[in-house]
Amino acid sequence: MFKLEHITKQFSDQYVLQDFSFEILQGEKIIVSGRSGIGKTTLFRLLLGFEQPDDGRIYFEDQLLTETNIWDIRRRVAYVSQDLNIGRGNLQAFFNETLSLKANINHKTDSLSRLTELMSYFELPDSLLLKNIEELSGGEKQRVAIINALLLKRDIFFLDEITSALDKFLKIKVLDYFLLNPDFTVLLISHDNYVPENAQTRILKLD
Amino acid sequence: MHGAQNLSEFSMLMCSLLLLIPLLGIWYLKLGLVKSMLISTIRMIVQLVLVGFFLEFVFQLNNWLLNSVWFLTMITVAVLSVIKNSNLRLRHFLVPVLFSFILANFFVVLYFNYFIVNLNFVLDAKYMIAIGGMVLGNSLRANIVGLGDFYKSISKDEQLYFYKLSLGASRFEALRGFAKKSFIAAMNPTIASMATMGIVSLPGMMTGQILGGSVPLVAIKYQIAIMIAILASTIISISLSIIFTVGKSFNKYGVLLKSVIADK
Repeated sequence: MFKLEHITKQFSDQYVLQDFSFEILQGEKIIVSGRSGIGKTTLFRLLLGFEQPDDGRIYFEDQLLTETNIWDIRRRVAYVSQDLNIGRGNLQAFFNETLSLKANINHKTDSLSRLTELMSYFELPDSLLLKNIEELSGGEKQRVAIINALLLKRDIFFLDEITSALDKFLKIKVLDYFLLNPDFTVLLISHDNYVPENAQTRILKLD
Repeated sequence: MHGAQNLSEFSMLMCSLLLLIPLLGIWYLKLGLVKSMLISTIRMIVQLVLVGFFLEFVFQLNNWLLNSVWFLTMITVAVLSVIKNSNLRLRHFLVPVLFSFILANFFVVLYFNYFIVNLNFVLDAKYMIAIGGMVLGNSLRANIVGLGDFYKSISKDEQLYFYKLSLGASRFEALRGFAKKSFIAAMNPTIASMATMGIVSLPGMMTGQILGGSVPLVAIKYQIAIMIAILASTIISISLSIIFTVGKSFNKYGVLLKSVIADK
């Protein structure tokens, strides 16, 4: 699906990635590891076009990633950032807003009908929908971002430390959900040691 | 009485005595503002004296071209101040913001002069420069808040902006929330001051008119009209400033260019 060829990226004289090549195949579950500052998040940002490589090429489905097709690629990938600054205001309105974007409007009704089911799977009460995002705890926000990503009905997931604020029980639930679904292609940055027993994962170690 | 009473040299001397109070206070409290206050006072006096002589000349001549050129000069100075005070890169913003201010302020002032005051000569110096100055001054204040806040918040909340793009938002969709927030920040002071106008403060326009010999009922009509003109020019100029600058402020991937915000 994604293929990176000889990628080099540096920030003010410091190389984050140097001559880095890698391929992500459909349905793969890849766990990205490495110490902090090594470029894990930069990798996601390159794949989403938020940063451009200094050298090298990125392909998506054999097409060179460009300023033109990046907008379509962003509509194929669901991204959950480690940053919990996801928006403000009422939670129900937040989900509505995501699904009212032109890119997602076609499946708005369909996705909203799954909302209750997803909320309950991730152990969030329906009453939370009436609250403001600012009032939610870190763990609640993290699950809200996960649910929002799932409402997009996409099958490629870039997940950046999405369980850092969750307890063990919820971590397992979240990781099982993504790593055991055969239809999902997952790129996961995680510091958890847990991997479901029957999940087929591949480790990408950056150093 | 026609026109305000003149202030004699003795009056101006008395006025400078009044300046001693803040000066002594600042000196006594060691606020370290004596120098900057003196410089500002002197600058104000020199600028106003020069402008006073210049405006006498402009008002007497009342030539449409000179009036327009002077108004354009006022607009340019305002735009330079907006860009500098909102910490944006001059080279990047000068042309689009200038264009936005010219459109917004000329439109509102000409509309005001033609449809509201019913002037035959819409470029009349007295009206264009006085009304234009009030409208422009408020656009300036609102744009420093609005335009500055817009770009600063995208830069500060870059993660949130990227998050919206990743959800599938177009650049326009991703920026809508930021624009809304900046509009509110820019418009709030004008809206709040409208709500208390006349009770908390007698606004400048009214004060000027009453001293100039107008009866209060005429003065309030002008005040209402000017407040609405200010509201209109503010919202038009902020909208246009954002619309005209947004195209060149992002790369084709939708990422805000680092060169947009001036280095401190």
